[in-house]
Amino acid sequence: MDIIVCIKQVVAGDRVKIDPRTYSLVRSSEFSYINPFDLFALEMAIRLKKEHSGSITAITMGPKISEEVLWEALTLGADRAILLSDPQFSASDTLATSYVLGMGIRKIGKFDMILCGMRTTDGDTGQVGPQLAEELGLPCISAVEKLEGEKGSFRVERVSDGFREIVEVSAPALLTVSSKTAVRLPSLMDIQDTFTRNSIGCWNLEDLNADPNKVGRLGSGTWVEGLTPAAQKKSCIFIEGDAREQARVLLSKLIEKNLFS
Amino acid sequence: MDLALSIKQKQLRRVARQFAKTELAPIAKEIDEEGRFPWEAVEKMGSLNLFGIQAPRKYGGAETDSISYCLVIEEISRVCASMGLMLAVHNGVVVHPIYQFGKDEQKAKFLSPLTAGEKIGAFCLTEPNAGSDAMAIESTALREGDSYIVNANKIFVTNGGVADILIIFASVDPGNVKKGFSAILVERGTPGFEVGLLENNCGMRANPVSSIILNDCRVPETNLLGREGEGFKVAMAALDSGRIGIAAQAVGIAQGALDASLKYAKERIQFRVPLAQHQAIQLMLADMGTMVEAARLLTLNAAHVKDQGGDLAAPSAMAKLFAGRTASKVASLGVQIHGGYGYSKDYPIERYFRDARATEIYEGTNEIQQIVIARELLKRGEE
Repeated sequence: MDIIVCIKQVVAGDRVKIDPRTYSLVRSSEFSYINPFDLFALEMAIRLKKEHSGSITAITMGPKISEEVLWEALTLGADRAILLSDPQFSASDTLATSYVLGMGIRKIGKFDMILCGMRTTDGDTGQVGPQLAEELGLPCISAVEKLEGEKGSFRVERVSDGFREIVEVSAPALLTVSSKTAVRLPSLMDIQDTFTRNSIGCWNLEDLNADPNKVGRLGSGTWVEGLTPAAQKKSCIFIEGDAREQARVLLSKLIEKNLFS
Repeated sequence: MDLALSIKQKQLRRVARQFAKTELAPIAKEIDEEGRFPWEAVEKMGSLNLFGIQAPRKYGGAETDSISYCLVIEEISRVCASMGLMLAVHNGVVVHPIYQFGKDEQKAKFLSPLTAGEKIGAFCLTEPNAGSDAMAIESTALREGDSYIVNANKIFVTNGGVADILIIFASVDPGNVKKGFSAILVERGTPGFEVGLLENNCGMRANPVSSIILNDCRVPETNLLGREGEGFKVAMAALDSGRIGIAAQAVGIAQGALDASLKYAKERIQFRVPLAQHQAIQLMLADMGTMVEAARLLTLNAAHVKDQGGDLAAPSAMAKLFAGRTASKVASLGVQIHGGYGYSKDYPIERYFRDARATEIYEGTNEIQQIVIARELLKRGEE
């Protein structure tokens, strides 16, 4: 079973810097890491591979420094890693990104399943997975927590709006993953081996035979017009009374805000 | 000159950082308070190769470079200095001299269980009347047939309470210690081997530092590490290289103290603003950050010299001296930033403060490092 896992390099929440001209994220390698949801997707891929054998290819679109997260994916258990990188890809919105990923996956050719994180912790649109499925004409199931099955046909469990939904799907398909199973930490030896054995494939616009009008700013259906920090208003409420009274008021406030059900 | 870490070095650091965060952070305070060795973490450390960081693959090690070794020790010590110390001693002054000086049969016998973490190592030089003055040891190893009869009273042995394989320094010629100074591998459980009382230290409390007593211990002659009379060379080579690990440990403690102080300075409100907005606090944080960075660069420089096969004595002594002082100074400033809470067990900074102090003492005191550095400087001609 051949699985493709789409991953993204995200910047740690408290280190986010925005370019004031382009409103795009300034990436630096020091505080970047794999989007945590993509790690759940990778974990699911590793489990599938264990059950059905096959291979895992990790793919990302980004500048050269995004190689780091591909190396991380390789140390965690991916067999192969592809970086889609070209100056013309910069400023791509989710539509253009999905096109580039789609072209990359077409070039890879054979696969049974594409797994994506449900969303990213920086852009947070949750769009790339579904748009990529559309680009490749694949069935898409989002927010997947569990996946079982034989080659060709899968039983998928997704959770949405408080319901657990069981869906059957046949390969090839694209799933966005929301399970929270952590990947096993590699050993120092695993890392040494990964760097001895592997290399990262790097494909640009020309390698992908991609249409320059469909990538970057030109290929984007949306662009950011303005960006201001959303005011986070914090206020503190002191609850008076004895412990019992305080607990009662606290509980009613939590219920009122739907934080306790 | 490229000072950037490679992607591989960063990935190796990530493993140690992640392990420290998930496995050691939740227990660091508790094991310090209870003075307990965390056996529950040992198996995991073994499976991640933390007991054989630089050892050759052939003997179960991960065979990393020395820079990566420092990064790993730093990340562990940043969260739990006691475990950083345990690993720095095990890897730096036990595993390393065995693969540097050991004969093939010794490597085959001793290294695999050590690198797997099934057995823990200790380095026994210090005695009641010998420490900085290593030549003053009174331990003896007298030849009897194909064995040595070892008598020793070793103190302040890091990992002593849990060690299975120990390098004991003793003289094969009691009349002439200088000529007879030798290194001998002794296994726990050998008749006559005894673990003394655990030290009641002010810091590094989760490390079972103890005395080790050997009473007429019969050890096969095949356990001699290096040749007879070569023990001082083994000890100094182990310490020159081991000091880099202790420097890395000190950098980790300093970084941990800085982390805790930055967090506290952002949270604590005084005069209606977070401490971090007061310039007096900013000045301290700036000094702390600068010292940590300088100590780290000196340490990684020493590691780089080691990887290049250069002369280690001065770079490793400089790194250890500066990093140890940095750990103490940064932890002390950290306590100051925390104010009254810094003096309380409720915050981790007091633990860093206690742990830091030892790095100026063990594996060569500051003053011994200064002697080494001055000797090296004076030896050099004009460039």
